[in-house]
Amino acid sequence: MIRRVSLVVMLVIIFGFFVFSILDLEAFFSTFGKDYFFENGLSETGSVNLVTGIYLDYRLFDSLFEAGLLIAAVSGVTWISQHEITEKNATFMLDRQSTPTLFVTFSRLVYPFMLMFGIYVILFGHVSPGGGFQGGAIVATAILILYYIDVQKATSIDKILTIEKILFLTIIGVGSISFFTKGTFFTNPFDLSASEQVKAIYLITLNALIGIKVALGLVAIFTAFLKEGR
Amino acid sequence: MTEIVSYALQIILIVIAFAVVVHKRNFTIIILIATFGLVAASLYIMNKAPDVAIAEVAIGSAIIPLIYVISISRQREFIVLDRAQDGFIEYGHELSGEGYEILAEFVKLYDLSLNICVDIQGKEKSLINELNVDLIIARDLQTGAYILYGKSSSVLLSKLTTMVKDKPNIRVVKIKEDKRND
Amino acid sequence: MSPILTIIVILVGLYGLATSKNIIKSVFCVTIIESGLILLFLNLGNLEGGSIPILSGLVENIVDPIPQALMITTIVIGSTITALALMLCIKIFHHFGSIEWKEVLGREE
Repeated sequence: MIRRVSLVVMLVIIFGFFVFSILDLEAFFSTFGKDYFFENGLSETGSVNLVTGIYLDYRLFDSLFEAGLLIAAVSGVTWISQHEITEKNATFMLDRQSTPTLFVTFSRLVYPFMLMFGIYVILFGHVSPGGGFQGGAIVATAILILYYIDVQKATSIDKILTIEKILFLTIIGVGSISFFTKGTFFTNPFDLSASEQVKAIYLITLNALIGIKVALGLVAIFTAFLKEGR
Repeated sequence: MTEIVSYALQIILIVIAFAVVVHKRNFTIIILIATFGLVAASLYIMNKAPDVAIAEVAIGSAIIPLIYVISISRQREFIVLDRAQDGFIEYGHELSGEGYEILAEFVKLYDLSLNICVDIQGKEKSLINELNVDLIIARDLQTGAYILYGKSSSVLLSKLTTMVKDKPNIRVVKIKEDKRND
Repeated sequence: MSPILTIIVILVGLYGLATSKNIIKSVFCVTIIESGLILLFLNLGNLEGGSIPILSGLVENIVDPIPQALMITTIVIGSTITALALMLCIKIFHHFGSIEWKEVLGREE
């Protein structure tokens, strides 16, 4: 009981510190970055959606690190869940009971539309809300529905991981093209005075690559869980 | 108007978070955590961040509940591999037999579900180490006693050992797991 | 005063993390803390108001786009971290036969 009371007291003290620190927020709150992006964001990156412009141009290094972290986590999940005994003997882990027929029928109806919506979100990430990360998650959910229709379609995780590593290197390569055209790493390789349509080529390429990579990573994760779980 | 809605959503969010923390049953918590994700996504929209809301809905509504459901249902399963197949467990219309009664009583006591499989080859030690089999039933041909193999580190196996202590024809063998240096 | 309500979510998650007896419950609490953190960042970007940071049509003032760009990556990474933690939970159950903190820590040799 004493432990719980002291815990609550500690949390209240943290809350007090937070409220105290937020009282004079105006002292160090500045709108400099916001104004800079509002004035120069469209002309420098060519992206109407400023969020996409930031994570594909100004802060591409963050996105690269995120992609690397994703591949590390996926490798961790597959390494923990691996069996050295061959898969053929381990089929009893997969589902024995069948999925309800109504569920399968509706999944077949929904699946193509979901896949199309995911690809739309990826490809139009620079003009509307969306982008590689979100669209990749939607595509991964669509493939999850495909697994519900027929669980035998589950592919091997090793192939997915290989494709993912190659894609990661490709993303770094596409990001570094600007070193040869402009002299700096990880920015838009086209000239600043080029039109929006030309700059959009770079944005769409990188969005599509990141989208495929995120989708494959999430698919690898829940394939590992399905093989472990049923 | 928008202000009132956003304050109400934040209070709902706190209530759901508190319910997740104090609730006891794990399957109810999964439903609560999916609701938590949806309310959080609508709050992201209130804060003018549609990109983040799309990502939260796509991930928090399907993938996160799925992996929670799988990992919670796995921790209620007791996988038994039967290699004796001579009446210790009878595979009739319904499962019966001496061993089945012991195991059924055991899983009922600890609120687990029994999963019996028969068709896997391999040595006992490697099966216990590599696959997630909790118990292997075999028969000693000389004495006719049944041997139950299991992991030495498992809490469940020591509970089972105390349960079958006074049965003369059942022996429990604990296999030590290899120490991997990684 | 919206950030104050947000920090309560984080504190509730911390309370659950400190008092939970089940390992899976702790993973739930980590998810809650993560959502609260994302909400806090978005709130701080939205302090002065403005419209969605998409420059189509007539836009005069936008919210800060930097926290949003950071939080998108946080969501994807958070889901994979949750998956890693849950896979470890499954392995712990198969090694120790239990998922309670007390029994697992007591069995450690």
